[in-house]
Amino acid sequence: MQGSLWQQCLSQLETELSEQQFNTWIRPLHAVEKDDSLTLLAPNRFVLDWVNEHFMKNIRDAVGARAASEPIEVQLEVGSVKPVTSKPKPSKPGRQDRRRDKRGLPGNNLDSAFNFDTFVEGKSNQLARAASIQVAENPGSAYNPLFIYGGVGLGKTHLMQAVGNMIVQRRPGAQVVYLHSERFVADMVKALQHNAINEFKRYYRSVDALLIDDIQFFAGKERSQEEFFHTFNALLEGRSQIIMTCDRYPKEIKGLEERLKSRFGWGLTVAIEPPELETRVAILVNKAAQENIELPSEVAFFVAKRIHSNVRELEGALKRIIASHRFSGRSIDLKSTKEALRDLLALQDKLVSIENIQKTVAEYYKIRVADLLSARRTRSITRPRQIAMALAKELTSHSLPEIGEAFGGRDHTTVLHACRKVVELKEADMRISEDYNNLWRILTT
Amino acid sequence: MNEQLPLALQLRASARFSSYVPGPNAELLQQLQDIAAGGGEAFLLCWGASGCGKTHLLQACCHASTEHGRSVSYISFADNEHLPPALLEGWEQFDLVCLDDIDRIAGRRDWEEAVFHLYNRVRDRGGRLVLSASCAPAQMDLALPDLASRLGWGVVYPIHLLDDDDRHRAMQLRARLMGCDLPDDTTRYLLRRLPRDLPALFDTLDRLDEASLAARRKLTVPFVKSVLEDETRSA
Repeated sequence: MQGSLWQQCLSQLETELSEQQFNTWIRPLHAVEKDDSLTLLAPNRFVLDWVNEHFMKNIRDAVGARAASEPIEVQLEVGSVKPVTSKPKPSKPGRQDRRRDKRGLPGNNLDSAFNFDTFVEGKSNQLARAASIQVAENPGSAYNPLFIYGGVGLGKTHLMQAVGNMIVQRRPGAQVVYLHSERFVADMVKALQHNAINEFKRYYRSVDALLIDDIQFFAGKERSQEEFFHTFNALLEGRSQIIMTCDRYPKEIKGLEERLKSRFGWGLTVAIEPPELETRVAILVNKAAQENIELPSEVAFFVAKRIHSNVRELEGALKRIIASHRFSGRSIDLKSTKEALRDLLALQDKLVSIENIQKTVAEYYKIRVADLLSARRTRSITRPRQIAMALAKELTSHSLPEIGEAFGGRDHTTVLHACRKVVELKEADMRISEDYNNLWRILTT
Repeated sequence: MNEQLPLALQLRASARFSSYVPGPNAELLQQLQDIAAGGGEAFLLCWGASGCGKTHLLQACCHASTEHGRSVSYISFADNEHLPPALLEGWEQFDLVCLDDIDRIAGRRDWEEAVFHLYNRVRDRGGRLVLSASCAPAQMDLALPDLASRLGWGVVYPIHLLDDDDRHRAMQLRARLMGCDLPDDTTRYLLRRLPRDLPALFDTLDRLDEASLAARRKLTVPFVKSVLEDETRSA
């Protein structure tokens, strides 16, 4: 490509346009050069129209100035460049089959790194994991559909793909398709545009297992829901396995047809909760081991105590620790970890303050912050107060006396009592457990 | 004074890794260089206040990526909030996608969804995504928790401001790239008297370079002083 016509034009355009314009609109164009023509491929219609309107003159002038004797025709088309050349971590296992089906429909798309061996089990996910293993062992009959729901970054996709991988492992040749709901919608739209909807239907209705991620993105997309409804019925009738993930319980998905919501609940619906401390530690140690790093347990505990919202954030923090270690060559210890995560942790401290917890809990229970700090001892006030204290102990690094002080000058033994009480109540009362988890989520995401 | 037309002689100090003085951001710079070469992390987000060099780094990443024969696409949301999310369609085909000032679309559901889906598609294709923002992901007020959690999944780097020694180096490097000599005493003079954010300093340097070409004078303290005083008088 060095010295090609388009290369030369690029050098000129780079001096004529601002760097912003050049990088946004010109650099992404992929040139296909022939003797008498230059075809520029834009990634989509919008970029094509924009370039046509704003930069075509510059491009034609640049080409014209360099054309030998015959004028060169410049064309703009929507098209794609060569496929992405490398995977993020080539040494690690990756997608089993990134190729697209020859009809443009997806291959299985499973990531082999998502398997049951790499999934760290804890109290927060053991039910979902057990159900998933059963489904993987008896696809189409154990629980169908399997509906896994929970907050972001808790391992739903991992579990779902682990099932897919295990099905393929046990029955090579099984057609297992994993895709994000957006992809289903996009493929359907494309099929409609290209008059290929029947092929689309046949494809999705013929798989052995269909794994659809983040089903909540179907909300408000009526045509996609209609199509998915029929696909769903056909697959269930043919005893093919369906697994879905969602950020919430089926009945709570707004903008989703009732008939779909009710069908989603026909099989088994399982929740994944935020991982507790021990699980977070185990996740960190496991992930580090996958990178051939032995993470000292004091470091794992330190990070797990400070980052509690979701697994992605834990992984992000770990990546940063490892990156700093590789860059500086220093060993990973508490000091280097604190340094690497200094900014991240400072932000956490800023975000989860006792005041913030009090405000959030008061809003949640529709009481006033002043009530939480008052001496009132009615249950409608004491429960939220105890929950707020337990959250303050869990989510901030304040001492118990400090927490007691912040709750209207109470003794630290009161805080301790509140924390124990909340543990008891969470075990005994589903509603309290749910309130606690909801508040946790609100405060940490 | 007989003034020349200076424009044709002025060199442009383009955004390149080589024109970036990393100071305390050396690890970030290394990460970006690795990514541009096709290695490193799949997702990186760097954040810092306006003027800390986010755009410079992302654009340098675009340039270096092209030099490595890798396809790249870039958009800054700072001036392009009016564009539709359809802009991002098909961007997963690039080896590297750079999204600058991502916090500018925070709270805009359509854009957040488009970036979230792009993130997933880039991940599926094994590409790389580099983002910048003026604040950390947790402070962005994103409407879509799915996007928020993904932004924290890659490596996240704050961009630290340079200290005065590094600013000194950055000024002189820029001057050198523009083809002029900025002596130590003049640099110190400027750093002592001007607002010390780099874009403002660079802006002044560009004007001084133009004035020095026009007047055919070197950037000595007396000359710089007189130009700045003239500017103040005419302001």
